[in-house]
Amino acid sequence: MSAALRAELFKQRSSRTGVGLFVAMLGLVAFVVLLHGLGVDAGTVDGASKQVTMLFGWGTVFGALFAALLGAMSITSEIRHGTIRPTFLVNPRRREVVAAKVWASMLIGAGFGLVAAAIAMGVGAATLRARGIDVLLGTGDYALLFAGGAAAAALWAAIGVGVGAVVRNQVPALTGVCVWLLFVENLLVGDIAGVAGVGRLLPGAAAKAISGQDPDVLLAPTVGLVLLAFYAAAAVVAGSLATSRRDVA
Amino acid sequence: MVSVQRLTKRYGDVMAVDDLTFSLEAGTITGFLGPNGAGKTTTLRLLLGLAEPTDGEALVLGRRYRELDQPAQRVGAVLESNDFDPGRSGGDHLRALAIAAEIPSSRVDEVLELVELAGTADRRVKTYSLGMRQRLGLAAALLGNPGLLILDEPANGLDPAGVHWLRSFLRSFADGGRTVLVSSHLLAEVAQAVDGVMIIDRGRLVAAAPLDELTGGGRTLEQVYLGLIAGRTS
Repeated sequence: MSAALRAELFKQRSSRTGVGLFVAMLGLVAFVVLLHGLGVDAGTVDGASKQVTMLFGWGTVFGALFAALLGAMSITSEIRHGTIRPTFLVNPRRREVVAAKVWASMLIGAGFGLVAAAIAMGVGAATLRARGIDVLLGTGDYALLFAGGAAAAALWAAIGVGVGAVVRNQVPALTGVCVWLLFVENLLVGDIAGVAGVGRLLPGAAAKAISGQDPDVLLAPTVGLVLLAFYAAAAVVAGSLATSRRDVA
Repeated sequence: MVSVQRLTKRYGDVMAVDDLTFSLEAGTITGFLGPNGAGKTTTLRLLLGLAEPTDGEALVLGRRYRELDQPAQRVGAVLESNDFDPGRSGGDHLRALAIAAEIPSSRVDEVLELVELAGTADRRVKTYSLGMRQRLGLAAALLGNPGLLILDEPANGLDPAGVHWLRSFLRSFADGGRTVLVSSHLLAEVAQAVDGVMIIDRGRLVAAAPLDELTGGGRTLEQVYLGLIAGRTS
């Protein structure tokens, strides 16, 4: 493991930011899944993929969201507090620093995704059972929720680093990620400007696709994975270029 | 140690650094003086690879800073007195930098001892006084045991005992054959500590000479300085 990556992992460990995001994610996933589990009409969760889409898939959404916030903050908080200066004095190869932030955030982000999936499953299953509704997921569905949730969160963590590196200012970067994932993408689901099915090509929709949500509307999981990986790569390249070319204040 | 050739940095219409040329000899302490906004900090940022020059070049040990191998083991620098995550402890701030620079963690304890922060290393930086933050920044710069130290306004926020400590520290650092470039607007503090002086105004070098040469004829550094930047208030 490179010194730059070990340093980034140490920074995450020695700050409370990651723990704060993790706890907020746990609470939000549990709350949202509980509300949906209690509120959904029994007829809309009478199949495995419907249950994933309506209920269990929320773990993927919030895992990706909080991993993206973690990734963005790994760079925006250094800019905000000025620690980016000593960081770049010690390692002036800025692309290496950005790459280390990407790997560290992806690693922790994958953990966020796994835990979010587990919480969503636990709370979702308990809620459905309490209402006398059977959980209809098969082994493949569970595997997809866990592996897909981890992969989607890891890739969104990389997107977060890229967005943070380009935007630099912490509040707009974090607000932008939240608004995009929770609001904008929901408005764009479906057709855009008369072109059918464009919404499913967006990065948030791709994250949902990876964990097996809404197979009639969204892409197949593997296609979603490849697409999201392209988004992540593009964001990292943009963030890396911006960071290495622009002056540090 | 340091070679700056026709260094220029322009921000829009503003020439922050204008055709600056100077060099630093090993084993000396050089005071870098000038009014606020004269371009001192910009020059140091260019020297340290944090900003790119519009024209000219700034070399450290014969290379651009961003191309130095193991820069922390060669150059220590403090640009701002508060470049810390307030939620992280002082010791962890140093540990993160030591890991990145591949410096053994035992050195973290050494520099903490050196700047007299060993007892408070576990406290979060948000509880530190300004003087403690200055010393923590200095500790970070010293992690790699560098031969060149570049400090921007290191005396700000230090009490008289702290200034005295800093001065004797810099003296012993340079007496060991190492080099210091220290920017300041506190002329009295600088005059007691430096071997040579560079004065810049509006991005241009207006004086560069050994201190005793500048202050020959019984003039104080302050009189020389005010004479050079006459008619300007900062």
